[in-house]
Amino acid sequence: MTYVIGVDVGGTFTDAVAAGDDGTMLSAKMPSTPPNYAAGVIQVLEALAGRAGLSLADLLAQASHISHGTTSTLNALVTGDVGKVGWLTTVGHRDSIYIMNVVGRYAGNSPEQIQDILKTRKPTPLVPKSRAKEIVERIDYKGSVIVPLDEDQARAAIAELLAEDVEAIAVSLLWSFRNPAHEARLRELIHEQAPGLYVALSSELSPRIREFSRNATTIMSTQVGPSLGRYLEPLDQRLRQHGLTGALLVMQGTGGTVAAREAPKTAITTVGSVLTGGVTGAARLAEQLGHRNVICTDVGGTTFLVGLIVDGEPVEATTAVINQHVIDTPMLKVQVIGSGGGAIAHLDAGGNLHVGPRSAQAVPGPACYDQGGTEPTVTDADLVLGIINPDNFLGGQKKLSAQRARDAIGARIARPLGLSVEDAAAAIFAVQNEQTADLVRKVAVESGQDPREFVMYAFGGAGPMHCFAYGAQLGVKETVVPLGQSAAAFSAFGLAASNITVVKEISDPATFPVAADHVTKTFTELEAAAQAALGAQGVAVEQVMLRREVDIRYSMQLAELPTPVPAGPLTDADLQGVVAEFESRYARTFGAGTGFADAGFQFITYRVHATGVLPVKVTTPAAEPAAGRGVGDAVSGRRPVLLDPRRGFEKTTIYDYARLAPGHVIIGPAIVEVPTTTVAVSAADTAEIDDFGNLILRRNREEQS
Amino acid sequence: MSWIPGSEVYDSRPLDPETLRAAVPGTLRLHTVGQAAIDDLDPLTYEVVRHRLWSITDEMGETLKRMSGSVVVTEANDFDFALCDELGQEVQIGLYNTFLSASLDLAVYWTLQHRADNPGISEGDMFLCNDPWVGGGLHQNDATVFAPMFFDGQLFGWTSAVAHELDVGGVAPGSWTPRAQDVFWESLPTPPIKVVRDGVLQRDVEDMWTRRSRMPRLVALDLRAKVGANVTGQTRLRRLLETYGPDTVKAVMKRMMDDAEQRLRAKLRDLPDGTWHATGYQEHSGMDDRGVYKIALAMTKTGDRLTFDFRGTAEQTGMINCPYSGVRAGIMSSLLPVLAGDIPWAAGGLMRCFDIVVDEGSMINASFPAAVGKGPVGPAWAVGNLVNECLAKMLDSRPQSRAAVQSVCGGTFDMVALAGIDQRQYPFVSLVMDTMAGGYGAGVDRDGVDTGGMFVIPMGRAPDAEMTEFTSPVLLLWRREEIDSGGPGQQRGGVSGSVCLIPHDTPVPMGAVFSGTGKAATQNAGLAGGYPGNTQLDLVIRGSDARDLLAAGQVPRNLDDIHGQRDVMASEVETGIGLQDAVFVHWQSGGGYGDPVRRDPAEVAHDVREAKVSPQAAASIYGVVLDGGGEVDEAATTGRRADLLAQRRAASGISPRDVPGSVDGGEALDVNVAVSAGQVLCRHCGTGLGRLGEPFLAELPRIEASPGTAGPHVWADPSTYVDVPVVFRQVLCPGCATALLSQVVPSDHPLVADHIQP
Repeated sequence: MTYVIGVDVGGTFTDAVAAGDDGTMLSAKMPSTPPNYAAGVIQVLEALAGRAGLSLADLLAQASHISHGTTSTLNALVTGDVGKVGWLTTVGHRDSIYIMNVVGRYAGNSPEQIQDILKTRKPTPLVPKSRAKEIVERIDYKGSVIVPLDEDQARAAIAELLAEDVEAIAVSLLWSFRNPAHEARLRELIHEQAPGLYVALSSELSPRIREFSRNATTIMSTQVGPSLGRYLEPLDQRLRQHGLTGALLVMQGTGGTVAAREAPKTAITTVGSVLTGGVTGAARLAEQLGHRNVICTDVGGTTFLVGLIVDGEPVEATTAVINQHVIDTPMLKVQVIGSGGGAIAHLDAGGNLHVGPRSAQAVPGPACYDQGGTEPTVTDADLVLGIINPDNFLGGQKKLSAQRARDAIGARIARPLGLSVEDAAAAIFAVQNEQTADLVRKVAVESGQDPREFVMYAFGGAGPMHCFAYGAQLGVKETVVPLGQSAAAFSAFGLAASNITVVKEISDPATFPVAADHVTKTFTELEAAAQAALGAQGVAVEQVMLRREVDIRYSMQLAELPTPVPAGPLTDADLQGVVAEFESRYARTFGAGTGFADAGFQFITYRVHATGVLPVKVTTPAAEPAAGRGVGDAVSGRRPVLLDPRRGFEKTTIYDYARLAPGHVIIGPAIVEVPTTTVAVSAADTAEIDDFGNLILRRNREEQS
Repeated sequence: MSWIPGSEVYDSRPLDPETLRAAVPGTLRLHTVGQAAIDDLDPLTYEVVRHRLWSITDEMGETLKRMSGSVVVTEANDFDFALCDELGQEVQIGLYNTFLSASLDLAVYWTLQHRADNPGISEGDMFLCNDPWVGGGLHQNDATVFAPMFFDGQLFGWTSAVAHELDVGGVAPGSWTPRAQDVFWESLPTPPIKVVRDGVLQRDVEDMWTRRSRMPRLVALDLRAKVGANVTGQTRLRRLLETYGPDTVKAVMKRMMDDAEQRLRAKLRDLPDGTWHATGYQEHSGMDDRGVYKIALAMTKTGDRLTFDFRGTAEQTGMINCPYSGVRAGIMSSLLPVLAGDIPWAAGGLMRCFDIVVDEGSMINASFPAAVGKGPVGPAWAVGNLVNECLAKMLDSRPQSRAAVQSVCGGTFDMVALAGIDQRQYPFVSLVMDTMAGGYGAGVDRDGVDTGGMFVIPMGRAPDAEMTEFTSPVLLLWRREEIDSGGPGQQRGGVSGSVCLIPHDTPVPMGAVFSGTGKAATQNAGLAGGYPGNTQLDLVIRGSDARDLLAAGQVPRNLDDIHGQRDVMASEVETGIGLQDAVFVHWQSGGGYGDPVRRDPAEVAHDVREAKVSPQAAASIYGVVLDGGGEVDEAATTGRRADLLAQRRAASGISPRDVPGSVDGGEALDVNVAVSAGQVLCRHCGTGLGRLGEPFLAELPRIEASPGTAGPHVWADPSTYVDVPVVFRQVLCPGCATALLSQVVPSDHPLVADHIQP
């Protein structure tokens, strides 16, 4: 048997999934082991081997590869626990990373935070000015050398940085993507004095116009690259000692993987590693279920992530925001829209009820966790409303205190508003659902999509209790709660199911028309580079798929849209077609008639995605058939539950998911208790278990807003 | 003063809602709800509908921003939008240009009074307006489209969207000019005109509108963007009304405004009553003028109400005026962030909490046909600076509100426009948008944000150098933070920046307009003895050797490196830029807070390391001496600070005296001044400064010296720009010589003590 293994290391848990080429699937979950996350990886693999009835060595020997999602780069950047690095840039332009285009004062903040202007601040600078050195050289927008590199001055600047004991140096010069010669020479000059020192060049890492994000991307990658290597190299060695012969791959923000030994060179691309596993898993499941357009909602205790799949492909963004810095790394578009089950309900100075965005986090957690939290959360409201079973939360792993939940809601919300605790809980529940719907809608609309044309997937521990409500508000066609064998570790499933991808890009901004042979040459070079990078991963792939795109904008408008470009040699007619496609995408995204074609077009950045398709196709296995059992056999009890404030508490049937099987149909109102979550089915819904064990929610009648 | 009979009809003013309601003809049925419906709202419905209204407004803004082709929209976020009730009161505004909130409602009030009977206000209509006297915007470039929203045959509310248009006609590109004598040199103001009837964009009206512009297609695109934003808002609003019913939604809208009003009133009640003063200036009323024009403010707070009294402000003159919408906008631009940062921006409610007293025909309430094109970035902005200063002083007097104290941010937008032939042989016009990166003012417990942006535009942006060089035929020799530019203080004002550029890859010289005041006297005042931020400085170095230096392998790093004839730009200039010329643009920083000689020396050392403060300024202004390793030399610093105080004493005629000792706790006016039983005392040394309510400030020792002594960030020779004398003035504690006030002002600048009721 051949397995592919996905390992997802989160802040709290490390999950693993093994998929066999016979269609079997196994999963395991162990606590994470910070700061030595590698120990938790070995532990979870041992647990996985146990499930398969194998020794760790046997499991690893049969693994074609391990696909690894890690939160380490993101955590390091967010917490500022990064390496001491130096930065070389063009004379006169050092302050780019301090000015931050002004945007750095508020990027990534919520509207409430942005409105409270007096509290907005820039983050701590990426490097102090003493470690940001200006180099005498200048290249212009055409790539022409205006001032040659002053090598003596550069050597002196490098010596100053080395005297400060930097562990790596980032090099990012103006217009280096048009002419990388000065950056390349600077690397040689650094290695003259410090052979082997980690050096990142912006022209290799992020050859894209706009120096602030290119500088930030290069510096951040340099800050985490060496430490990522220090984590991955010993992990790789330990796995090999335990018998792994296949490749260790690391998930990137693009939803594709990179070989562990290549990853430190482009460390910044692994930043979205843990965010994207869920969307990748959803994309694979969507392929299996035949869904082309999916809104993915992944609701945990503290975060609410939204991703989109359109026409079968996860929607990508070309930039991301980390610590109020916009960085240039292609990523699946996963947006955090506030908070999950831990979102705190509170009253403002005017006595108005708000839910979130502040969260009770893991510590102290919701009041009902009885860990010292006194502020009411969404989870507390769910408990008071009977949706969550205090004795069977997460399969009984955690006992909840209904009294603490009632006390918190009573003291902070119900009494000040003159409501009963139940009515206050209902209000929190409803506000959370409506607000969620508004925010998910915003994500869809800003991508130019209409939620009514989508199926929604709801995963994560806290999503399935609320998805019937926000799904109805959004008007989605139906809602899928993935509950098959992959559900316990859905992100790890996504990792196991992902292919290998490499993205190569280069900015070459020019006003249209651009010579077709020049564009062909640009793409041919990018494709060759992407193929070479793919080959360097050390994994046998079945097939390589290449996809070209170019970011185009109307000359006077800000938004750039990645637009597909045909393969092969291009003609002027092809490029006219690309522009026509851009215009139609622009109209679809921003509305008909919104493009200003009279201003002309600009081709900004060319990009090639290379995907290596792996031989083992990972799919969710079929669920056990009902074998004569009826849906009634799955009933575990009845209790009063409030799912609709207009209907109040109703005696509601509780189902044990373990006893449900494909074909079973549940008429709401109902609650389905799953070891990993709780699914609420309102009186307006019908739930059906599909062939893979997923729960599909459908509205009984049309309700839209 | 010119005044044209018949033009007064266009002067829109806020008026009592019930008066306005009564003025609307009965044929136009207005939807409203009574207080009972507002009181009956349950918290769940209120919050859900409130959030939905926010989401709808937000989506309107997204639509507008994505559709617009104007760089001032897409890069500078100079636009906004609002959702209003049936009378035009603003229920929700956007987070973009906060000025505009003060004018969108004015346009609706006017329209209800002047359009209801003829041509009528009907379902499917939208109005276009760029008349700043009517409202909807602050100058003619602010073109607004606003639309009545009908439900069941009643006028339920209004949506509106406004954005700055790059060119709407007039004698100069950009639609305003330093040469303007009156509004007829600028774009023609157009009062509300029906641009959409029954859902159809009217081609004749569109042509009338776009025909005036040098960029008609862009103006047409933006017109559609604004129509689109209104359609988006109304479509979603209609769905909300269908779900919840108009009465419930209207009750939520009214309650949002009432809630914002009540919260602001509650905040005001917690603050002392009193009167606070601030005075600012506009230099140069146009090309070749050397005058200085005063804007005066006395802000009085009584109970839960503010009165902004601008009497004493100069008469309208030249091209540095704004109509009533501008003075109101200046107030809102500071009131929103300073008093309402944590209150939802249901601006209609917030605007009920203040009155404005302002003379007709003054610079900030100019009568037709005054030139007003520069209004928002000139006089309206200056009003915002003064309101900020007064609000900050009021907040500084109570411990619970001191966190919201912030000195004035960059005092204007340093507008530099370039035009010519670009590297692709096309004509181009562009603004130097780096000047968006102004410094923020310092707070009581924090430095101002360095290159943090513009206070009036919470989400401003400055472009990357690469985008500037890609879109315009220029090479940026540098683009950087300017050392020493932040107003010195115990807390330092945020630094501003500069760019130095040369023409690159263009066959012909460029035309340029420089417009922006604060070059002789500062506009970015400090507080509590904190120094003002830098004076603005724009230079053209004629016939420079910059290109020769580049050819020789050198990149100039400073102005001293570039040789040529330095041509200092006055506040309002049109000029040419030769191919050998270099242009230096240095915009404004934020003011400081507290006396700089009281700044923590370790913070000064940090500022020197991070190139925010030079070692020279550390010694001469902050009194901090650093050793060879950049660490504080404690002994030398103590000595240096004693020397600085001794110099102050000598210059102000203070003789050494015994002091009672520091005053802890109790009432205070700011970090330096305590109040005890009507006596004003220095908190640091206990010396009596005078009696509250008396003009004690003018009696205290003071220094009046040449402006350059304020520091390297202030232009030393005001006669370059103006004929009136300008001084660096410090008012000192007679006991310990702590600076209680530090200003760079015309020498006749009033010295008025603020008054608070104990």
